[in-house]
Amino acid sequence: MVSRKQIKTYLQREPKFDDIMCSLRATGRQAKGIIGETKKVVAIARRFNEEFTSSYAYELDRKMHQDPDHLAWEVVKKANEWGFYTMFIPKMFGGKGYAIASLSPFLEEIGSVCASIANLIGVHYLGFVGLATSWNMRLMDMICREVVNGEKTGNPCLMSFAMTEPDAGTDSQNVEFMDTGSLACQAKKVEGGYVVNGTKIFISCGHLSTWHILFAYTDLQKASENMVMLAVKTGTKGFSFGKKEKKMGQKASVASELVFKDCFVPDDMVLLDRSQIAGLSRTPREVTEMILAAIWAASRVGVAAFGTGAARGAFEQALRFASSTEVDGKLLINHEWCQAMLAEMYKNVAVGRIAYNEGNYANGMDGAFKLLNLKPIYYLSKYTPVSVFDRIMKPLCGLSFTTWISRKIAFDFMGDAEVDRTDGWGSLAKFTATDMGIRNARMAMEIMGAAGVRHDERAEKILRDSKLYQIYEGTNQINRVNLFKRLVARACPGSRCFSEDNI
Amino acid sequence: MYASNDKELNLLDKSSLEFAKKELAPGREENDHFPFGPFFGHVVDKAFELDFFHIFLPEDLGGVGHGIRALCIVLNNICREDSSLGGIMFTNAFAQSLMLEAGATEVLKQISDKAGSAGEFLIACPVLSDPARSPMGLSADRNGENYKLSGKIDYVVLGGMAGHALLPAAIPGEDGYSWFLVDLSDPAVIKSDVVFSHGMHACPAVDIELKGVLADLVGSAGEGNLYFRKAASVMQVAAAAMAAGVMKGSLEEALDYCRQRRQGGRMIKDWSELQMLLSNMAVQTEVAQMLVSRACMAIADKEKDWETRAGAAALHIVSSAADVVSDGIQSMGGVGYMKDFGQEKRFRDTAHIQALLGFLPLKKLDFIRKLL
Ligand SMILES: Cc1cc2nc3c(=O)[nH]c(=O)nc-3n(C[C@H](O)[C@H](O)[C@H](O)COP(=O)(O)OP(=O)(O)OC[C@H]3O[C@@H](n4cnc5c(N)ncnc54)[C@H](O)[C@@H]3O)c2cc1C
Repeated sequence: MVSRKQIKTYLQREPKFDDIMCSLRATGRQAKGIIGETKKVVAIARRFNEEFTSSYAYELDRKMHQDPDHLAWEVVKKANEWGFYTMFIPKMFGGKGYAIASLSPFLEEIGSVCASIANLIGVHYLGFVGLATSWNMRLMDMICREVVNGEKTGNPCLMSFAMTEPDAGTDSQNVEFMDTGSLACQAKKVEGGYVVNGTKIFISCGHLSTWHILFAYTDLQKASENMVMLAVKTGTKGFSFGKKEKKMGQKASVASELVFKDCFVPDDMVLLDRSQIAGLSRTPREVTEMILAAIWAASRVGVAAFGTGAARGAFEQALRFASSTEVDGKLLINHEWCQAMLAEMYKNVAVGRIAYNEGNYANGMDGAFKLLNLKPIYYLSKYTPVSVFDRIMKPLCGLSFTTWISRKIAFDFMGDAEVDRTDGWGSLAKFTATDMGIRNARMAMEIMGAAGVRHDERAEKILRDSKLYQIYEGTNQINRVNLFKRLVARACPGSRCFSEDNI
Repeated sequence: MYASNDKELNLLDKSSLEFAKKELAPGREENDHFPFGPFFGHVVDKAFELDFFHIFLPEDLGGVGHGIRALCIVLNNICREDSSLGGIMFTNAFAQSLMLEAGATEVLKQISDKAGSAGEFLIACPVLSDPARSPMGLSADRNGENYKLSGKIDYVVLGGMAGHALLPAAIPGEDGYSWFLVDLSDPAVIKSDVVFSHGMHACPAVDIELKGVLADLVGSAGEGNLYFRKAASVMQVAAAAMAAGVMKGSLEEALDYCRQRRQGGRMIKDWSELQMLLSNMAVQTEVAQMLVSRACMAIADKEKDWETRAGAAALHIVSSAADVVSDGIQSMGGVGYMKDFGQEKRFRDTAHIQALLGFLPLKKLDFIRKLL
């Protein structure tokens, strides 16, 4: 009926088969071991919730209301004890090497009980994703091993992701706006390194982190071509913490101001700059765009998992309440309208989960971590003892060749269709699941009436917390336009996104 | 809200807006820190001096007697800046209106005559619930001319600061429930700490346990539900006026911010996606203002089917407010989520307003059941 060639042609038509069937493509290609790993991390998260999150989350939130300056070290220490900060770091860097895709269900579980605690764990991996997308293998190895060491010694070593500036939120996240926008964090090349001046705001877990993956620019007028990624350690001269934001929710996950005043960052702490990508066939602007796309593809799926967690938490609180509360002489769960609302909420959770899973499949097949998902590499990594890894990988990571070849694969060999797919799905998952979070939180409040507004009934915290998911990692509006840019616009000749033409 | 050509209402409109901007807006963040910070008693006292709590009470009972329209105008303006004070006004006005429906004018007059401060004047009430829907926590036993109330009741708004509380209780052997006025200084009234809640932090509520507390029956025994429905059919519009005020405040702050913030090399107000969001907010806000005005008119003129119209208006407004205040945050990006601005508080307060007078889904069902 159709020839091989025709099949290929038909499947290339919009909507492209590969874009719309991420999970189906992954079936068979993805290592089965990931299923077992995912089951295990979900079980670990449930146990952690049972032993810690469920009992502490509301006490912690209340404490944060009372003392907004409190830094939740007790949570960070607990998560460190449980090994959460190395759990998803690849074994080659000394971590436990659980599949990155299993991070999302893990975050959904913790997030279904407490968004702040989920953030205090998850944001570290946003820092890790920032670090990883520089493909600087030497620094990746060095910083990850510090995290591992921090786990061993009981001194947590977290990474933050420092991109947003007072005048540049959306501007800093989209390559189209970087040159016309208001970026101000400048890195000036000097003998032996860079001198950084500027302020970063809203940096999640900044005050709690040891390493900060910092984005600065050598030329603010052409920032898109002159992005510099730096690894800055807390305590570095010229770098200090500013204020802690007073937020509506997610209170225990501090949002920090980071201030850089003539902060000298030596060359060996430069994750990536123009000189390091000179040999690639991609232009500097293309590399910047690919780095941003890879970060968002991974991190927005994580935020989608948070959103799904919030939707689920709201559902669970509403169900608990409806199962134990009598209205008009019968339990709420026996009112048909309430059953329909709870069913809708259940569906919203499922939709959020499907969306983040599709995003994960896209990343697993075509994204930044696709190499780790190749069956031979996956199983090699899974069954090779850490000691063997250490002996082989440590010296390998130190070679500049390793970084060079990794960047060649990540930037030059990565196709545009893959970038579109992973970044597009990142946005889709993010705004879908986080909208579900808010929707369910509001429905829970409606079902619970007067009880809903009480802190001790738990639903109100979910509403406060979930609103943030619609804002960070790009507002949901920006993510809608990004979805259009990545998955729709290419089939519409003449269309432009994030441009003057959209006014 | 539209005060039309009525001079007195226009004056009230102006003065209450000025009060909101001068007295409420500057201290909003600090006042919201309650119960972990000080209570804004001086602001409540000022509102008392300005007769904001007397608006709904008839003149012969010591009030101003301006009626629902004036109440809605003031609530609308107050809630633009800080709904906590709006919540205090609403609770007190609801209690007064229910007592008026029950014919308890004498008691109202006594309270009003004696009161030298806001605390003595205000009447606490569990305004977030419709007592007929849930199992009754209080029972009232006859004690000569009076009753003695025992049991527990949750979330009595103003319970920690008012002199009296209007509480529902069941009289054993009687159908339905009845309302009772309780002196909150009675030592047999055991109040919890202020209930820590989602929004309206400075409109505090407490859970109360009563151990044989002397109480006056308000109106007739067993008629509690009737009085509640009558009062609620009017006062739901006051709740809607609060929601409309919050929407207005949210829109104003969003517009102000979007006129100043630049992203992508332009003012963000120029991006058409954001304009669409702001447009939705503005349309809902204007509609809400008009609906409250129109509903007030229908009530004041006792138009045919005024209850249906007022009910529809109120339900529409409190439902749409949730989207508007959420978009109010969204339009401002990260800063909208911070306490330095008013949007996050409006977002939280709206959930309280939605819950006034009972579960929102049940209010919707009540509405349609009357038409079926
Ligand atoms: C609590 C918190 C934690 C955070 N954590 C981190 C972190 O760890 N690291 C980090 O780097 N950042 C972090 N952020 C920053 C976050 O990603 C930004 O806040 C977000 O991307 C929005 O940017 P903005 O706040 O500057 O809003 P703006 O970019 O100023 O946007 C304001 C409004 O304008 C709209 N808008 C802007 N441009 C356009 C356009 N072209 N078209 C249509 N609409 C437009 C937006 O959608 C929004 O509605 C965090 C933020 C918060 C609030």
